[in-house]
Amino acid sequence: MAEMAAKTCLVVDDSPTVRKVARRFLRHTGLDIQEAENGQIALDQCTLKMPDVILLDWNMPVMSGIQFLRHLRAASGGTEPKVIFCTTESDVDHIREAFEAGTDEYLMKPFDAKMLNDKLGNFFVFDHDPSA
Amino acid sequence: MLSGLSARGKAITDTIVESLNAYDIVGTPENYALWWEYHSGTNPPLARTMNALISNQATFDDATLRDLYVSFLSSSKEEEAIREASSRVLETLQDVIALADGGRADARQFGSTLATFASGALCDEMATLRRSVEHLVQESKKMAGRTEYLGARMRESSTKIQTLERNLEYALKDATLDSLTGVANRKSFDQTIRRLAGDAMNSGEDLGLLMVDIDHFKKVNDTWGHQVGDQVLRQVAKTLELAVRGQDYVARYGGEEFAVLLPRADNQASYIVAQNIQRALLRQAGSFGTDQPVKEITLSIGVSCYEPGDALSEWIGRGDAALYRAKAAGRNRIEVI
Repeated sequence: MAEMAAKTCLVVDDSPTVRKVARRFLRHTGLDIQEAENGQIALDQCTLKMPDVILLDWNMPVMSGIQFLRHLRAASGGTEPKVIFCTTESDVDHIREAFEAGTDEYLMKPFDAKMLNDKLGNFFVFDHDPSA
Repeated sequence: MLSGLSARGKAITDTIVESLNAYDIVGTPENYALWWEYHSGTNPPLARTMNALISNQATFDDATLRDLYVSFLSSSKEEEAIREASSRVLETLQDVIALADGGRADARQFGSTLATFASGALCDEMATLRRSVEHLVQESKKMAGRTEYLGARMRESSTKIQTLERNLEYALKDATLDSLTGVANRKSFDQTIRRLAGDAMNSGEDLGLLMVDIDHFKKVNDTWGHQVGDQVLRQVAKTLELAVRGQDYVARYGGEEFAVLLPRADNQASYIVAQNIQRALLRQAGSFGTDQPVKEITLSIGVSCYEPGDALSEWIGRGDAALYRAKAAGRNRIEVI
């Protein structure tokens, strides 16, 4: 876990409920969890320090997830973070737009621990089952 | 004949047939084309979108398949490539049929080794494959004809297009309803529970679930016949719809079991709705289409609320467990888990 402890995850969602659930599900991964309630705040945080992985809502006030993602991927070092779009939007057009903007994964709400950790498992190897 | 059937082409075709079966997809030329592109790996943007749908256990309903086709395959430049891919799949399918048809003759030509190989298990396998493939080809021929017809009609006038669109809308609407009771069907429920739970996860608002089961329904059927049983199902469905609020959602979950989704209702509010449903049904002294009054119909109801982060199956499982508890405790009861 020593290696994992240094990694950070930024949860970008205007819903306190979703941020709380994500934090609970990620507790066992050893990831250092940061939160942002819209795309602009997330972008400011990324300018200070790029996280390793970003869980990204679509519909948020001030700056949406898709706008954030386009800014992020254009920024210096912005191609480094792994991005998991995490949204109730489940139609083909949204999924396509998200991948074209540079998301790595697409997770549909409502998500559970297994769904989130399966997506994370595509980027990281955990020492133990995080959903356990 | 055999030369047209590359091993890779046949392997992909087999996989397409498997996928269409697995996701319960109609074998139209458009759908063949989609899954050909997916399995042959020639269209990465399409593949990652489909992988996103698959990994999230989304349903490949008609609207989704149409969107995939329009979004990835029907731009004028690509259209020809798709028609080619589609006909390639059909050709391969035809080859498979021909192979199955001529299996014995070919085997003779290829000598005793192949003859032995083509007998027994392989023959059975080919016969099964042949039946499913023949069905798919027939379906796609029908669809191809229909597609051309629609195309011609659409060019005729915009009024006719609007009529067709309306008809399609009706067809889609019908496909979400249970034909016996007129409430939402199971397929529609599976999609709606996802949508409402997603909204509840975002908003942090409550979302209640009632699992409703008619007590001693088998006895009703056995005593009074299935027509009365059907009438009871319709009556219960009507009662559920009248007893719930405007934003609530009633579906037939299967058999004599109904499910009700209650946005912004916690356990207590859901319990009250469940009570209202039971009382409303008791008020209806119905003969349910028989000459003699059927002994009063009662309901057992399990109540469970969504917790953000629940797997939907866990949540429904809690509702089922509550229903089971209500049954075990003597029926005509409400239990909350």
